[in-house]
Amino acid sequence: MAVLSAACATSGQTQTQQADQNTNAPVTLSFWSTGGDDETATFQKAADLYKQKHPNVTVKVQTLSWSDAYAKLLAAATSRSGPDIISGGMTWTIQFGVKGAMVDLRKHGLDSLKAQALPAQWESAISPDGSVFGVPLDMSTLALYYRTDLLEQAKVEPPKTWEELTAAIGKLKAAGIKKPYSQDWGNLDWIGYFNYLYQAGGSFYTADCKPSLNTPQAEQALKYWVDLYREHGAPTATVEGADALDTGTAMVVAGNWIAKGIDINKPKLKDKWAMTTIPAGPAGPTTFIGGRAIGVTSFSKYVQTSTDFVKFMYSDEAITAIADEARKRNISYIPPRPDKIVNGSVFAPEQAQVFETAIKAGKAAPGCPGWDESAPDVTKQLQSAILGKADVKTALTEAAKVMERNAG
Amino acid sequence: MASPIPLRGRLRRYGTSYAMLLPFLALFAGFLLWPLANSLYLSFTKFDGVNPAVFNGVDNFVQLASDTRFRHALGNTALYVVGSVVLGTLLSLGLALAFNGSSWPHRIMRTLFFLPSVTSSIALMLMWKWVLYPSDVGLANTIVDWLGGQAVAWLATPGLTIPILVLMSVWGGMGYGMVLYVAGLGSIPEEYYEAAKIDGASAWRQFRHITLPLLRPVTTYVVVTGLIGAFQVFEAVYIVFSQGANTIGGVLDSGLMIVPYLYDQGFTHFRLGYASAIAWVLFLIIFVLSLVNLRVGRAMKEL
Repeated sequence: MAVLSAACATSGQTQTQQADQNTNAPVTLSFWSTGGDDETATFQKAADLYKQKHPNVTVKVQTLSWSDAYAKLLAAATSRSGPDIISGGMTWTIQFGVKGAMVDLRKHGLDSLKAQALPAQWESAISPDGSVFGVPLDMSTLALYYRTDLLEQAKVEPPKTWEELTAAIGKLKAAGIKKPYSQDWGNLDWIGYFNYLYQAGGSFYTADCKPSLNTPQAEQALKYWVDLYREHGAPTATVEGADALDTGTAMVVAGNWIAKGIDINKPKLKDKWAMTTIPAGPAGPTTFIGGRAIGVTSFSKYVQTSTDFVKFMYSDEAITAIADEARKRNISYIPPRPDKIVNGSVFAPEQAQVFETAIKAGKAAPGCPGWDESAPDVTKQLQSAILGKADVKTALTEAAKVMERNAG
Repeated sequence: MASPIPLRGRLRRYGTSYAMLLPFLALFAGFLLWPLANSLYLSFTKFDGVNPAVFNGVDNFVQLASDTRFRHALGNTALYVVGSVVLGTLLSLGLALAFNGSSWPHRIMRTLFFLPSVTSSIALMLMWKWVLYPSDVGLANTIVDWLGGQAVAWLATPGLTIPILVLMSVWGGMGYGMVLYVAGLGSIPEEYYEAAKIDGASAWRQFRHITLPLLRPVTTYVVVTGLIGAFQVFEAVYIVFSQGANTIGGVLDSGLMIVPYLYDQGFTHFRLGYASAIAWVLFLIIFVLSLVNLRVGRAMKEL
């Protein structure tokens, strides 16, 4: 049976039957984790816990840096040799999965994790035909970080809506603050536009994956976003969130991953900054949710055990172990289970509340066919509008055309 | 046609030498010839890296001809190549003329200018990224601030992308060219200059009629290697100008070049057949340009 499953693995077929868990022979699983060494250490804690419960299974977590992870995973998939478990960008497992390099976890009952995951993130992790090649491993989202001292100086409250945001920028400028607002994550990029688009009631695709950028909502969103740059002076060059705050930017939209490091990396900012959810648009506060997905490779010799380990990553104990280690290492870890965001968070309670609010109203990247090919061109059109090379309507029409073409 | 006896004789005579060459030949064949042949084959296929390659004839090349991003990358690369090769060669020569002596100050200056050539390009690019960092933290904007100017969005202003890339390339490469030119200058016999001086030739005429013509082989080498290097620019674009979630090439693709585009197609979009076609087009461009360059060099020598 073991021989048979190994043969299946090398022939690239997805296995439904695996014998690896029925034997007690020592098993070593290799888990390639995309991120930094500190993050690897946090996941290793969960792996060590797993070993305590399954003494014959050792999971070795190795770091893949974001810059070359994709190419290394592609090389592993091409040669059909390498790790048993991988983690990486939210849609990576889908891309590897549709090419036969990942196991459809539904066949191992992991679709049951759906009940524990955040629906919007889960939606983004599954492929268009419903296959579950990966499940969310953690979450990331955006917040509005601001300098309490500068806002106080200008007598401005943290903005809650689009109107309040532009009004606040005006007041900050009037109070002599040179850099009222900037955007760290998604600046000049589709992720940045994502928030405005959904907050105006638009979307990149309809529910049945038809491109939908040719709408008044998309136009309203882009008009507002472009005005932030052209009228209100948001910088087109991306400055990392903590640096922006440190160098006198009053408000900056940035990812959750900077939250734990600000006090340590920028000690001068201690007690001078806070965060809130990003300002809501006319249709609501929808905020982008990203994160990493984790999945099992189809060339693994131990699909069943690997799958079981992935499932274990959703357990209370695994999440607690990861969060404990993350707290020690100042990593801004948000677990993939919405019920755990505040409860047992690595953040201060009020910060965790902000992330929870953002995530509960969040949406993730479109999982529609052709999106990955289209994203760079959509970004280029958005940049054309921001840099004054095209008007809002033309930019959106051109972006929609590319999406139509790639939708196949 | 060689008869069997001399062949056997040759084998007896050189057999050990051939045997000693075998490990190299095996590595050469395994790590160069085989991948090359494979990439040529893949350029005629649709291949996603995981599923077997499907032969599709010249489809990839036909598609390339109408690919606007590829044409944009080609245009950017052409601008970059001309800028960096012309400026790089001129400055290399200028530096060599300025610091070709054997005194300590000259040696120190040569070492300083040569340093970037022996430093890891990744480290250099990370340094440039810091220099051009948009906030006051970046060195360039700190200087702009001292001079009383407004902070510049160096990496988000499309018009500045190619000039910055040329600057980075010239700064990093001119020391290498300088060393080659210094060696070239050293090989020109002093008598030529003495004879010219006796004939009353000015410094400019000596440079124009002795130095430049005799440096032609070095110039050809510097230009050809510069061309090849410039066409293959990657780290500068990938590290300094990567912007956003999944775009390569900077704002509005203003820094999109052929190799980063090849990488983007092959390793972020799994279009390895298409990426191979790009690689072969790049090879042909460099091959033809190098031939032209060598031919021009030879023609000028014959004049």
